[in-house]
Amino acid sequence: MIDRKYPLHPYFQEMPSIGSVLPRVLKKNIEELKEQEEIVAKEVQRVKEAGKPTEKMNEKGEWTAWQRIEYLVEPGTWCPLHTIYDPNFNEEGNTGVIDGLGKINGKWAIIIASNNKVMAGAWLSGQADNVLRVTDIAKRLHLPLVWVLNCSGAKLMEQEKCFPDRRGSGTPFFRHAELQKLGIPIIVGIYGTNPAGGGYHAISPTILIGHERCNMAVGGAGIVSGMAPKGYIDEEVAQALIENTKKFKATPPGRVEIHHNGTGFIRDVCETEEEVLDDIKQYMATLPAYDPKFFRVADSVEPKYPAEDLYSLVPLNPRRIYPMEEVLARLFDNSEHMEFKPDFGPEIYCGLAKVDGFLCGFIANRQGGLGNNYPKYADYDGIGGKLYREGLIKMSEFVTFCGRDRVPMIWVQDATGIDVGDTAEKAEMLGLGMALIYSIEQSDNPMMTIVLRKGTAAAHYVLGGPQANNNNAFTLGTAATEIYVMHGETAAAATYARRLVKNQDEGKPLDETIGKMNEIIEMYNEKSRPVYCAKSGFVDEIVEFPQLRNYCKAFVGSYYQNPKTICAVHQMILPRIIKG
Amino acid sequence: MTEITSPMAGRVQAINVKEGQMITEDDELFIVEALKMENAVYGDPGVVKEILVKVGQEVEEDQVLAIVE
Repeated sequence: MIDRKYPLHPYFQEMPSIGSVLPRVLKKNIEELKEQEEIVAKEVQRVKEAGKPTEKMNEKGEWTAWQRIEYLVEPGTWCPLHTIYDPNFNEEGNTGVIDGLGKINGKWAIIIASNNKVMAGAWLSGQADNVLRVTDIAKRLHLPLVWVLNCSGAKLMEQEKCFPDRRGSGTPFFRHAELQKLGIPIIVGIYGTNPAGGGYHAISPTILIGHERCNMAVGGAGIVSGMAPKGYIDEEVAQALIENTKKFKATPPGRVEIHHNGTGFIRDVCETEEEVLDDIKQYMATLPAYDPKFFRVADSVEPKYPAEDLYSLVPLNPRRIYPMEEVLARLFDNSEHMEFKPDFGPEIYCGLAKVDGFLCGFIANRQGGLGNNYPKYADYDGIGGKLYREGLIKMSEFVTFCGRDRVPMIWVQDATGIDVGDTAEKAEMLGLGMALIYSIEQSDNPMMTIVLRKGTAAAHYVLGGPQANNNNAFTLGTAATEIYVMHGETAAAATYARRLVKNQDEGKPLDETIGKMNEIIEMYNEKSRPVYCAKSGFVDEIVEFPQLRNYCKAFVGSYYQNPKTICAVHQMILPRIIKG
Repeated sequence: MTEITSPMAGRVQAINVKEGQMITEDDELFIVEALKMENAVYGDPGVVKEILVKVGQEVEEDQVLAIVE
């Protein structure tokens, strides 16, 4: 009989507890947060309802992208991303692709599907950047990329918004090549007509699976028949177009007869919607992945306290304080953790915890008072949410150790900024903020960030923000998220304080300037709220509070599926430093 | 009888109850403000017997703000 134990079980089998039972349910705060979530849900619904009705497509034997994903992904594992991402505010409400993390046949993948309800899955403005964000995730997490392709090429009336540019719609093809160069496989299931850009999306992956009625080509019927040498359209050209279009409608280029039977580009041809997806599942089974047991340090256990408590814990009012430890207790396995340097840099929580049985580093902003004599370099009191000298030093250390131990990290941001003023400058805030950025970059560690409430000023960057392009896999927001360089009132004061003085000195009324200041505040409010943050790509998804842990599990599970580098658990140094 | 205390040192920014008022567990009784951050103060359900502070008053951590029975 073999006696099996987890590695370093004295450290991780039973860790110190964090959190407590919720003292009271705050109905008003719950209602306010759910109201915000409802606003986001309406945007999501608008995206889902755009284009052809689902029933009409089903009548023709075609599934929608959402139906395909539902069939492909294991129940309970789908974590959508970029659902309402739409940086150029398209009339369609998103960029024409649907993506997210999910498990296929027991393995995590980043999945992207053409929204075939809208213009047969055309390239829309912003789509290229959406795809690049997805390939960033594949690259950062060393995760298979699965395409459910059905792409009619560029939306021709807006080609200037999607065809050219350094990060335009051709860039993903190079990214596909880069992923393969890095050993990351791409599997594509091809449906429908995929000419031009759609054709390159189809040919650029590693494994090509085709539906029997699909085609992929350098140019489609429309392009071939649209070559008008005169530079304008007249009766003669129009007639030629009609003839050519009829011809190509009958036999569009690049059908399975050509690219399966002929070139052999498409490996498998499937008769039905389901078969294509089943075939993707079979190829997923062939990909390398560690059994989760290989990296787990304990059994997976749910937190002791319900996730619904988060609606009472996180105040929508950004001025209200709350206990960050209680939030973390609802993310950690069995609400257990090991805190790093609890007596140093009290504005910041750093600690190790388990998520789904895997080790993960967490950094979070504490809220509220920090006790007397902190920060030590100043004669004023510090407040949680702001960053001071010790907190910045502690984070740099923690990030460095997590990188050394190959422990992925999750940041929980609710930050108002870094301490300012000459006293703070003398205490090296500027240098220590940049030192943290260097530590993050140097760690080569994958990170996920939750902007739980405020993501403000440089603190938003240094706290593992999405600007850490080589580390941050993705960033989530919540109903309480606000992201801006500074609060609207601060911005209004910074912009107009001198004018107010001038107005008063000259005996002029203040009304006009006050009006302009309030306009700034209103604009900041509008352009920092969750929907705007998700549409503009400040975050990769707005997530309902009870779903946050699912995303943590998806991130951590994805990382440990097939990491590029490994540190044996018994060779880790961070747990030993914490234990002392 | 229970004492409602301030969770932190600061200034009483708002008093949202009156003496004799019935309160529930999610009623915000007081707002204590420090360094531009607010802390909402709650109490167990009951009737407010006495309020011991005024708006604008500086209070210490754990100072009794009201008595509820």
